[in-house]
Amino acid sequence: MALYFFYFFASTAILSSFFVIFANNPVHSVLWLIVTFFSVAGFFILVGAEFLALLLMIVYVGALAVLFLFVVMMLNINFAGLRSGVAQYLPFGILIGLVIFIELILAFVPWDFKEQSFNNLSSPINLSETNTVALGKVVYTDYFLLFQCAGIILLIAMIGSIVLTLRSRPDVKRQNITEQIFRDPNSSIEVKDINPGEGI
Amino acid sequence: MSFFETNIGILAIVIGQCFLVMLCVLASLAFIMYGERKVWGLLQLRRGPNVVGPFGILQSFADLLKHVFKEIIVPTESDKVVFFLAPLISFVLALIAWVVVPFDDGWVVSNINIGILYLFAVSSLEVYGVIMGGWASNSKYPFLGSLRSASQMISYEVSIGFIIIGVIISAGSLNLSEIVLAQKSDYGLLSWFWLPHLPMVFFFLVSALAETNRPPFDLPEAEAELVAGYQVEYTSTPYLLFMIGELSAVLLMTALITILFFGGWLSPVPSLPDGFFWMFSKMLLFFFVFSLIKGLVPRYRYDQLMRLGWKVMLPVSLGWVVFVSFMAHFKLLNYARW
Amino acid sequence: MIPIEHFLIVSASLFVIGVFGIFLNRKNIIIILMSIELILASVNINFVVFSSYLGDLVGQVFAMFILTVAAAEAAIGLAIIVCFYRLRNSIFIEDANTMKG
Repeated sequence: MALYFFYFFASTAILSSFFVIFANNPVHSVLWLIVTFFSVAGFFILVGAEFLALLLMIVYVGALAVLFLFVVMMLNINFAGLRSGVAQYLPFGILIGLVIFIELILAFVPWDFKEQSFNNLSSPINLSETNTVALGKVVYTDYFLLFQCAGIILLIAMIGSIVLTLRSRPDVKRQNITEQIFRDPNSSIEVKDINPGEGI
Repeated sequence: MSFFETNIGILAIVIGQCFLVMLCVLASLAFIMYGERKVWGLLQLRRGPNVVGPFGILQSFADLLKHVFKEIIVPTESDKVVFFLAPLISFVLALIAWVVVPFDDGWVVSNINIGILYLFAVSSLEVYGVIMGGWASNSKYPFLGSLRSASQMISYEVSIGFIIIGVIISAGSLNLSEIVLAQKSDYGLLSWFWLPHLPMVFFFLVSALAETNRPPFDLPEAEAELVAGYQVEYTSTPYLLFMIGELSAVLLMTALITILFFGGWLSPVPSLPDGFFWMFSKMLLFFFVFSLIKGLVPRYRYDQLMRLGWKVMLPVSLGWVVFVSFMAHFKLLNYARW
Repeated sequence: MIPIEHFLIVSASLFVIGVFGIFLNRKNIIIILMSIELILASVNINFVVFSSYLGDLVGQVFAMFILTVAAAEAAIGLAIIVCFYRLRNSIFIEDANTMKG
């Protein structure tokens, strides 16, 4: 049963990642990228990493791909110009791709774990507790400093992207709530006595 | 080995359960839509739908037939595949979320360990229906509406996430059934999470309204400025799918409030038995609150909405997570139920 | 149990498609970013699969960190693209040649 699911996810992953790089429209590329991430999440569930699968969905699909979509949609890009010259790079790309693929296959297919590798585990999976609990126990103890570092990386990324994209536009009228609240009739209304026929 | 122990048998059971849940949700959506329109009618001193069937109770089915039999109009310059994919996505996502919702002890299609995370993931995917619909229509108003709606949904998702984390810390589990069972005690109503997490109940209510694009945060479809947001170009069945998806998301939010803060299927009075009935009536109560809000509250302006999301909801809910983790760590006031 | 080679071959294919995409779409920086995400996803598959088959949780922890870094990288990358677009009105990589030092 699991094998059929594996073949399903594998075929969608490979096909959709092909479409990511071959789609004519970058918006379609992003949508295919989402399909790829879905299949990768499927793999994670198949091997029992359920927390990571959902995390992948939330982070990649729920946030990252939306970001991509926003940028692709908002920038008025000349799509046709970006596609030109693909044929020129195709042979070289295929060559490089083929070489890397053959190397990886040669490395992966005869894979076998050594006996002693099972005796040198730093944090063995305990099947009696759920994946989330086990992951939490490892992350918040042994890898606590790395976890903090990841947080700092995210903070820096957040600050960096805000600094890069922030534009202060002087022509936009902004609402100042405290100013509005502290307005009172004494300072904003003035009673004037106007004689007939004179105006202010 | 009986049939139901084979692979095909298990698959048949799962598919049957999914169909059952889907049927129940869709049928209740029809009547809930009717109820909502009656509530607005009462608020505005009208009678609401009252023609089709006794008291107009079959109005939603008449609307369904009307939508289905209309012509589907496709804008010429639109991206056809994405155009039809968008309503399907929002419909399917709104329905698949229900597989992890427990209606009673054990009444759940898939009782997974990370149910709440799954719900959060699905609700964060609902943005795609909106963005794709607005973009594929190839028209200015839908696109503006979809951008607004997407940024709104993303902003409020963050605070929903933090509120959920607070509840998870209290319950000590990501499983929805266990979150409900963590609220069970001899004190009934008083042991539910709404008491320790009282401010977050209101925050969650507001965030849920914003997340599902309901009034007073229905900016994507602000008629006065954007006609109807991302659904301008949609007619007939695709439009219906968007509508059902939206309404189902609202119903899901009521289920989520019930499970997280109001004890799911647990009965409020200790002597009464727990059951499906309680879950359903709590969901109806919150749906009633949602419709009341729709009838009573004026619409927010867009910059106010964003300010509320990022400058009020996010810091306060983040602070609440810190507070709850402090209380839970030192086991104060029964904040930690594990 | 699915043989581990199956997963490894799929992740190798994803990796190669990612590299191939970078070569193929040299002008389009957004597709290049997406190809990098593909490569990172394939690396993630390897980490998680090895972690699961070896019975060691550290692989999943590292996959989590990769997720973090990928998110940060994409956010910064897209911010740079937006900045660049505001300056040049295009996202052709060939136009990014004014910083010659």
